[in-house]
Amino acid sequence: MSSSNVSYTLRYFDTIGFAESSRMLLTAAGVEWTEEHPEWPQEKPNQPHGRLPVLVEKSTDGSPDFVICESTNIERYLARTYGFLPADLKQAALQEQIRDLMSDVGNLVTGYVQIKNGEDKAELFAKFEKLLETLVKVQTKLLKDNGNTGRMFGDKLSYADIIAYGLYMNMLVSLVKFKADIVDIIKPKLTPEVVKLISTVETDPLVVKHKSRGGSLVTVVSA
Amino acid sequence: MLSGSDTVYVLRYFDLIGRAEGCRLLLTAANASWTEEHPEWPAEKANQPFERLPVLVERSNGDEWILCESLTIERYLARVFGFMPTDLKQAALQEQMADQQADLAPAFMAQLMATDDMKSKQIDEFNTLLDRIVKEHGRILSRNSSKQHLFGDQLSYADISLYAFYKVYIVYLKIYQSNIDEIVKPKLTPEIINLILSIEKEPLLAPHLSKCDSMAAVLTSKAF
Repeated sequence: MSSSNVSYTLRYFDTIGFAESSRMLLTAAGVEWTEEHPEWPQEKPNQPHGRLPVLVEKSTDGSPDFVICESTNIERYLARTYGFLPADLKQAALQEQIRDLMSDVGNLVTGYVQIKNGEDKAELFAKFEKLLETLVKVQTKLLKDNGNTGRMFGDKLSYADIIAYGLYMNMLVSLVKFKADIVDIIKPKLTPEVVKLISTVETDPLVVKHKSRGGSLVTVVSA
Repeated sequence: MLSGSDTVYVLRYFDLIGRAEGCRLLLTAANASWTEEHPEWPAEKANQPFERLPVLVERSNGDEWILCESLTIERYLARVFGFMPTDLKQAALQEQMADQQADLAPAFMAQLMATDDMKSKQIDEFNTLLDRIVKEHGRILSRNSSKQHLFGDQLSYADISLYAFYKVYIVYLKIYQSNIDEIVKPKLTPEIINLILSIEKEPLLAPHLSKCDSMAAVLTSKAF
């Protein structure tokens, strides 16, 4: 698909949050894109679902802007359009299922951050840790079965790899302000295979020019 | 249809509506050969790829292929059986609706489990998101010429996803919160009720829905 007459605007907050993977997919796709940080909550009613992120696709062929929302939907749309998700339905589904598992871990993180009650917080954190352990186990098996190349699927940067990087960035960098010892808790759970996944993504030529607000995740996990 | 006629599916889940209704409806609409398994739980937890349910098992020509995560299973089945548009933009619009609906589940649990000091805030958030979802259903429907479907004039992934969504929030979740239907039903416009009932009458869904209670009585009842 030609990207020469298409450009994108990604609307989100000026944070890592739920948009990091979309930023990386846009960068990896090599398309023209910019970011907008809408005044919030003033701009809430102007968004399709009253939330961010929102992706606007503009075309020079005169067709109206195509606007979509929901972070996971934006990721899948970009990944399918630019070939980071395979066209084969089974192969794509295997990557999407990992993404959904990652979303569940991400939701537990968000829930944890929002809960004020001490007891519930501890219980939710325990749930988060358990599910994270499941995620790491699943990812490690995929990485090993794929020849321990630092890629979960195939031999080039994939949607699943990018999402994994975004999630670990969110957990290990964004979460620090809510739980100071989060890195010390999560790092020991990461297998060498997952650490290699993180560095393989960060150094991939397609995304290496993406300068994350979080800095280098490799530095965080290697320290 | 991309699967061979000798392909059979097994849907592993609990014997509940839960997170599997969309999958059941898609397999039914597809006229696929499928059965359901209700694994002993938690005894069978360790035998599932992600230690969770639902799980879809696809068996064809002696091979077995396994998929997890309810929404991924739904999107996969929808694509295999032609209920998802092949145009990526059109598909994204249907998936976006399903993703928005899925956000309500954590909000429902949060308001259900909230301690007194957080309860009213969590209830507000749940109601705000629910209102937005219902509004979005109405908006999509208003832009479609057929009022029996959300997109186009045939049963689509979005229709099935919407029906399963309302079944969860009006029928299923009563086991957790007995007044949930009294919260949700008043928010529905006549157009949305009509849409739900139209989907319920889809011949493709009859093999499954004929075994379930109809939502018609619940939705059209004046006494709630």
